[in-house]
Amino acid sequence: MSLQPIRNPKELGPIDYYTSGHRTCAGCGPAIGYRLATKAAGPKTVLLGPTGCMYVANGHQFLTSPYAVPWFHTQLGGGGAAGIGTAAAFRALTSKGKRKREEVNVLVYGGDGGFADIGYAGLSMAMTYDYQRLLYILYDNESYANTGIQASSTTPWGATTTFTPTGRVRRIGNERMKKNVALTIAAHPGVRYVATSALYPPMDFVNKVRKAFNSGGPAFIQVLTPCPKGWFFDPKHTVTLSRLAVETGAWALWEYEEGAFSLTYKPPKRRGLAEYMRLQGRFTHLSDEDIERLDRMIEEQWGLWLESDRQKRLILSWTPPPTPL
Amino acid sequence: MRIWTGTRAIAEAVKIADVDVIAAYPIRPYTGVMNELAKMISDGEFSAEIIVADSEHSQFEIAKHASAVGARTFVGSSGVGLLYAAEAITVTALAQLPVVALAGCRALDDPGNFGMEWNDTLVFRDFGWLVSWAKDAQEALDMTLVAYRVSEDRRVLLPQFVAVDGATITHIASPVTPPDERIEGFLPPYKPPYPLDPEYGPITKSQHIAPSLIGPEQRKVVDASVKRSREVIEEAWRDFGKRVGRSYPPFLETAYMDDAELAIVTMGAYTKDAVYVAKKLREEGERVGVVRLRYWRPYPAQELRELLEGVRGIAVLDFSYSFGSPDMGGAFYNELRAALYEANQKPLILDFLFTGGREPSVKHFREAVEITKRAVERGRPERLVYWPTLRGDDI
Ligand SMILES: Cc1ncc(C[n+]2csc(CCOP(=O)(O)OP(=O)(O)O)c2C)c(N)n1
Ligand code: SF4
Repeated sequence: MSLQPIRNPKELGPIDYYTSGHRTCAGCGPAIGYRLATKAAGPKTVLLGPTGCMYVANGHQFLTSPYAVPWFHTQLGGGGAAGIGTAAAFRALTSKGKRKREEVNVLVYGGDGGFADIGYAGLSMAMTYDYQRLLYILYDNESYANTGIQASSTTPWGATTTFTPTGRVRRIGNERMKKNVALTIAAHPGVRYVATSALYPPMDFVNKVRKAFNSGGPAFIQVLTPCPKGWFFDPKHTVTLSRLAVETGAWALWEYEEGAFSLTYKPPKRRGLAEYMRLQGRFTHLSDEDIERLDRMIEEQWGLWLESDRQKRLILSWTPPPTPL
Repeated sequence: MRIWTGTRAIAEAVKIADVDVIAAYPIRPYTGVMNELAKMISDGEFSAEIIVADSEHSQFEIAKHASAVGARTFVGSSGVGLLYAAEAITVTALAQLPVVALAGCRALDDPGNFGMEWNDTLVFRDFGWLVSWAKDAQEALDMTLVAYRVSEDRRVLLPQFVAVDGATITHIASPVTPPDERIEGFLPPYKPPYPLDPEYGPITKSQHIAPSLIGPEQRKVVDASVKRSREVIEEAWRDFGKRVGRSYPPFLETAYMDDAELAIVTMGAYTKDAVYVAKKLREEGERVGVVRLRYWRPYPAQELRELLEGVRGIAVLDFSYSFGSPDMGGAFYNELRAALYEANQKPLILDFLFTGGREPSVKHFREAVEITKRAVERGRPERLVYWPTLRGDDI
């Protein structure tokens, strides 16, 4: 049962599997991502949710549930294991004749706190197995949003969070550089499908989800999902910011299929980073020079992305951490 | 009859139960059971998904999620490994998933210590897991089969630890008779009421809740399951005895208790040594008996009260400790004292702590009874807690 690529959004049909009954913030990027991912996966899917906003802010009040397919919580650090346990159960039960033979998609939708930090080892373990139709999506809101916006290892350089506030002696906020989780997942030998995506363009994400399930092994997608509460922006800008992240080159869209690398979007002319950063309250303390320097870093990085795309294989960069001016 | 170690005996039970998903991560002394299972699966003796996990946290989370789909699962650990999995262990019970796990009792770090202690398993007394405690390899095998039957019963649906004393059971080979085809029908296939499977429609499981809505009620549901497990345990052992021809009393095993004035109360592998000591003392005219708990959860409080009410002194052989607890005794001791608080005639209860993994000998058990006897004769104990294997002064 392979999931066909979608060319026109209408082909996805009217049914949502992540639907009404949730209480996420207005303009919540991860919630939009959930809706797209579950629509792409379809009805024969089991959803697993590590602790985070996509756990606490969905369902809850009056015991409502926004999930129209089976959904089960897993611990913050348990996403990788939960996917493996679920997939193993389906394989064991079908191969032993205890369940009818029918493929089920297992989709684990976890935050950056869950997958980039505490549950990283379990996610990595999962990538060494051969379970099919098992997809891990890291919805990257670059923070621990549910606990009130703390830095994770994917929070970008310069962002203020409650654990990395700017102050009289610490001018910058978060001084660590964003970990590129997807690249590290691509370093697992034999991994079939790894990709990065964003909420814009939406069909890029939908089709990557479908490709991931078809890939024949555990797959991983890191999707950038802006969070109005943590990034300090007007909720109407969620998709605009997704688009700016892609068009400024701050977030590169690529996929890695059985060892072959390709960019799925090449900005014809990269927009300046300031356009993206100045819409967000978490960067207001950065000077124009800080942003210009980050822009230059992105320029260098893009040289490598384009070269990787040309050679169809990954070239790793070493980027010196920007020290505050 | 075969000569099997405890871990091998348990692996045989897992095979007989036709378990579907197994998750492994090594830590001595539990590791052997996974070695055995991996080999059995490699040799095609039975079929199961065996996951080599990256940690105990993942290991228990794997078992929990496989169980939610409807697979029969097996997992386990020892010592600090169990504590590393504590988070996943908690949610398995509160999600009411009948995972069965081996707890191969081992001393906790720091420092690293291969000895046997009960603290790793007793920590989980408050988590909603049933905890059964085997005294030898044969019972470990039988108990594992009964664990699946009890845990998967619709009246229970709780996970269970089969605790075995590290090294003394896990690593010692002894005669074991596996059950034959008479066991067939004892373990019906596991059918969860609400499997996490699109085939059965959408369910949302363990969603976040408002405490004001179902906070205490959810806890009470688990509490009621633990209570109901008592009758299911009795039924299961009765049925097991009928089919296999080996019968066990469900909650308490006793020796020489009919007219006992002094009792040794313990669990696990050293029961045999305790019975040997009681036998010797009986030959010398002392009225000593032995009581062994076969279940730590549910705790057989009522049975203990009925049995120990007339006894004058109790020597607790305790492989747990709780720094700073009432009277500085172990968790095992404190629970026994709590259970006997409601007794009409309260016996003197003395705690003999075998801590730090150092092996006790029958000499220590004999001394424990003698100290208890003297306290009874004097009418009051000199002290309540002793560290018999300690070198130097017990301060
Ligand atoms: C073991 C553990 N530590 C801490 C927490 C508290 N906690 C709950 S949600 C959360 C944030 C998770 O962040 P992320 O994975 O980025 O998801 P988001 O909240 O951003 O959606 C944390 C730290 C927890 N639930 N479990
Ligand atoms: S805090 Fe951010 S991630 Fe959480 S619900 Fe609100 S917008 Fe979504």
